[in-house]
Amino acid sequence: MATLLDVLNSDDGLLNVGRTALSMAPNTSKSLLSLKTLQDGKVASKFTFTTLLKDAAPRDPSTLDSQDESQHYTLFPLALGQILRQYAVTEMHLALNAGNWNYDRWGYPEEQGVGTGAELWAWMGDGAAITVDERWKGLRNALAGLFCASLGSLDELRTTSPAQTFIPEGTLPDWGVPHTVRHASLPSEHVCTENLTPFLKLLPCKSLSGIASLLNPHRLFDADWHGMGVHVLWREGEGVEMRLTFQSVSDPLRHDAAKKQDWSLQSLFDRTIHRSCPVAHSSEIVVALPKNAFYSIKPEPPVIDRSSAHFDVNIHQKPLDVILTWPEPFSYPLDYQSESTNFSVKRTLRGPSQAHGQLSLVITNHRPYTIHTLYLETMPWLLQFYLHTLEARVDGVLRADIISNLTYIPSVPHSRPTTFQALLSLPPSSTVEITMDVTKAFLRYTEHPPDAQRGWDLPPAIFTPVEFAKNGTSFSVKEGRLYTSTLLVDLATPDFSMPYNVIIFTCSVIAYIFGSIFNLLTRRFVIVHIEPTKS
Amino acid sequence: MSPTSKRPSSPEHSSFTPIFFLLIAVRLWISFTDVSEILKNDQQLSSPLTSFSQLKEGIFLFNHDIDPYSGGSFRHSPLLLSFFATVLPSSRRLASALWTASDAVGAWALVEIWRARQNLRRSSRDLLVAASYLLNPYLFLPSLALSTSSLENTALLLSIMFACNGKASASLFLLSSVIHLSFSSGVMLLPILLLLITDPHSHIASPKPLSTPLKKAYPLLGEFLFYMGILTLISTFVAGSWSWIPQTWGATLTLPDLAPNTGLWWYFFTEMFDHFRPFFLMVFTVHLFIYVVPVCLKFQHDALYAVFIMLGILGTFKPYTTLSDPGLFLTVFAIFPEIYPYMRYPIVTVLLHLHASLLMPLFHHLWLSQGTGNANFFYASTLVFACANGAALVDCIWPGLRIAIGPHVEGYSIVQE
Repeated sequence: MATLLDVLNSDDGLLNVGRTALSMAPNTSKSLLSLKTLQDGKVASKFTFTTLLKDAAPRDPSTLDSQDESQHYTLFPLALGQILRQYAVTEMHLALNAGNWNYDRWGYPEEQGVGTGAELWAWMGDGAAITVDERWKGLRNALAGLFCASLGSLDELRTTSPAQTFIPEGTLPDWGVPHTVRHASLPSEHVCTENLTPFLKLLPCKSLSGIASLLNPHRLFDADWHGMGVHVLWREGEGVEMRLTFQSVSDPLRHDAAKKQDWSLQSLFDRTIHRSCPVAHSSEIVVALPKNAFYSIKPEPPVIDRSSAHFDVNIHQKPLDVILTWPEPFSYPLDYQSESTNFSVKRTLRGPSQAHGQLSLVITNHRPYTIHTLYLETMPWLLQFYLHTLEARVDGVLRADIISNLTYIPSVPHSRPTTFQALLSLPPSSTVEITMDVTKAFLRYTEHPPDAQRGWDLPPAIFTPVEFAKNGTSFSVKEGRLYTSTLLVDLATPDFSMPYNVIIFTCSVIAYIFGSIFNLLTRRFVIVHIEPTKS
Repeated sequence: MSPTSKRPSSPEHSSFTPIFFLLIAVRLWISFTDVSEILKNDQQLSSPLTSFSQLKEGIFLFNHDIDPYSGGSFRHSPLLLSFFATVLPSSRRLASALWTASDAVGAWALVEIWRARQNLRRSSRDLLVAASYLLNPYLFLPSLALSTSSLENTALLLSIMFACNGKASASLFLLSSVIHLSFSSGVMLLPILLLLITDPHSHIASPKPLSTPLKKAYPLLGEFLFYMGILTLISTFVAGSWSWIPQTWGATLTLPDLAPNTGLWWYFFTEMFDHFRPFFLMVFTVHLFIYVVPVCLKFQHDALYAVFIMLGILGTFKPYTTLSDPGLFLTVFAIFPEIYPYMRYPIVTVLLHLHASLLMPLFHHLWLSQGTGNANFFYASTLVFACANGAALVDCIWPGLRIAIGPHVEGYSIVQE
C-alpha cells in the first residue's frame, strides 16, 4: 500500500490512472472533518473516516467450522477485517473516551457513544458451534491486542445484553438464526496515544496526508474531551461499512490572552493540510458557522449551505488552514440554552456507609411536552439494587406511574452484572428524582485492584429517547443516546497484608474451642484424694 | 438466681401471665418506633440470609414475575417467600407485630421446655425463663431489625418443645422447616431424635447408657426425611425450578456473600487464598458437623442437654451467624439451673461477652461508617466473641460432666484422667 501511495503521490498522471482504477475497486473511502463552535467557546471537532467494502457481507456463524471464503481488501484494514471474520461479528462498535461529555453545554455529540472509558458492543448471529459468548471473548481480546487497550477486562463481570437500547445501526442479515447483542463498558479505561497509533494504522493514508494528517496526538490528548470510535456495520445492498471516528472538544480560550474564541486548524491541531489523501473518494471539511454573531472565515468557503461551510480537501489549494475569527472577545453566557438536549441527568451515589447506600438520579425535562426515555443501568455486581425501594418523585411528589416496562436481570456475586432497564415518562418542564437503595459488595482480597482504596469506577447509566407508535403500546428507539457521568464506589477493604495472620488467628481460635470441647468430652473425670499437707 | 425463683409462693405463679404480656407489649411498642428502621441494615443483626430488606426484595421480584433465585442477592427459603408473598402483606408495622408475636411464641416455647424438663405444670421460675428470652439483647435486637433468624429461633424452640412433649410429628416437621430456612441447623437432627426417643427430664447428674434402643429412632428419621422431601417439593413448586437450592443451601456451603457478621467465616474467606478456598470451605462445614456424634454420645443420658450444647456449637461456628444464634444458646442457660454451681469460669465468660458485645458494634461502625478503623478491628472483636462463645460452651460442658460427681468435698479434687 505504501509503495502504491508513493507512486500515486509522485505523478499527477499516474494519480488519475489510480483514481480510475480505484473507482472500480470494491472499496471506497471517505473522510470528513466537522468543526463546530460550542456555546461555551470550546470547539468540537469530529474526524470521520468511512470505508465501504462494497457488496461484502458479514460472515455467517454457521460457516465458522469450515474454511472462510477469501476476502479482497484494498482500503479496508486487514487486521480488523480478519478479527470480524474470525468471530463472525455482524456489527461492532468500540468507543474509547476520556472525560465527561457535558450535554448541557455542548449539546448532543455527533457520534453517540461518548460514555467515559471504554465501551464495546457487538451484534452476533447465534446458532454456531462456537457460542456467542466465546466469540465475544475472542473479539474483545483481539481488539485489546489491536488497539493496545485493556478491553480484555470487559469480561463476564461487565458483559450484558441490552438489546432494546443498543439496536443495530445497520442491517442484520437473515440467516434464520437470532442475533444477540453483547455490551460491556469499562469506565476506568482511558484513551491515550498508544490507542491512537493503531487507530491511525487502520486509515488508508495513515496520518500522512489528507484530513488524517491533522490527527496530532499532542493536541488531541490535550483537549478537554476526546474519544475515538470504531464502528463496523452491514448495510444491505451496499456492503460492510467501517467508520473510524475521533472526536475532541478543545478550548481555544485556554491559551488565548485576548480571551477570543478564534481558532484555526493550526491552533487546534498544530498542523495544516499539505497533501490530500489520493485514495480518499471524498475528503471534506465542514465548519458550522456561528449564528447571530459577527465572524470571518478564511479562506473563503467554496460552498456554503444551511449555516455550514464546506471545503473539499481533494481539490482545494494546499496548504489548507481554515481560520475562524471573531472581532469581539468572548463572554461566557450566563445560562446555557438547552437547545439540543431535551433533558439533563445527574446521577449520584449517596450515603457514608461502605455497606449500603442510595443511588439517586435527578432528571430535568427542558421541554413543554412529555418525554419518554429508556433508562438502562448495567451495573457490575459490586453494587446490588434493592428494587423494592425504587421511588420516583416528580417535583417532590411521589409518582409510581412514570416508571414502566421494567426489565431486570439481577447480578450474580463474583460474576454477572445487573441489567436494569425501565421506561420513564418525564412530565413536561419538571424535575424527576429517582432513588433506589443499594448494597455494596464485600470482595475477596484477591478481587481488589492494587489501588483498592481508590474505589471502583461504575459504568454510566444510559438514556435512550423512545417514540411511541400510533397505537400507543409499542415504542421505537430514537437517536440521541445520553450517557450519565460515571460513579465511584468506595468498597470496604480487608487488610491486604495479613491473609496468613487471619488464617492463623481464626484457625487458632477454632482449634482452641475444638480442643477444649474434645478434651472435656473424651477424658474421664476422676476424684483424687489430696493428702493434707503437714506444716 | 433472682429472689423470685427462690420463693415458691402462689402469687408469683399467677403473676406470670400479666407480666409476660406486659413484656410483650413493651417490646411491641419499641418495635413500632423508628429503631427498627435504623437497625434493619445492621450486619451483626441480620446476615444476607436473614435480612428483611433482602426478603422484601425477593417478594418484590416474585410479585413482578422475575425469578428471585436467578440472581445472587436473594437467599431466603421459598417457604418464607411464599408465606410473605401470599399470606402477609409486607407492611412494616405488620411485620414488626409478627416478629414480636414470634418472639412471644418462642419465649412461651422455652417456658414449656422448662416446665417439661421439671415435669411441672407451672413453676416459680417460669417468668425468669420467659424474661431471659424476651429481654436478651442478643435476641431482641435482631428481632427489632426484623431478621428472619428470630423466626428460625422460634421454630427451633417450638420443635424442641414438641420433642419434649413427645409430639414427634410436629417436632420433626418444624425441624425440617428450620433446616429449610437455615441449612446449618441440620446439626440439631440427631439430638432432637434422641430427645424424642428419651425424655426431657434432668438426668444430667446420673449418666448411664441409653436405655431405649436406637432402633426406635429409625421411623422418626424416616418421617423427618418425608417432611424434608415434602417441603423441598413445595419449595420447588413455589420457586418454579430447583434454582433455589444453590441459592439458599448452597450459600451456606460456598459462602458467596462475604458481608461481615459476628461469625468466624466471613473474614477467613475474605482473606483466603483462592486455591485453598474449596478445601477450607469443606473443612469449616465438616467441622460444624463433627461435634454432633460425640456430644450426643457423651450426653445420651440427657438429650435436652445435648440439644443445648449443639445450640452453642451452632451459634459459634455456623456460617452467616447473627447475634440471635449465640443469643439463643445463652438464653437456654436459664433452663439448666442445676449446673450453675459447677460452672468453671463464669466470670471470664461474662467478661469476654461484655468485651465483645461492646466492641463489635463500635468497631463495625468505625470500619464501615466512620472510616477511621479498618477491618482488623472488627475481625478482632469477632474473634473475642468466638472466644466468649467457646468459653460459654466449655462452661456448659464442664458442669454437665462434673455434676455427676457431686459437690466439692474438702480434701478431694476432681481432675481429668
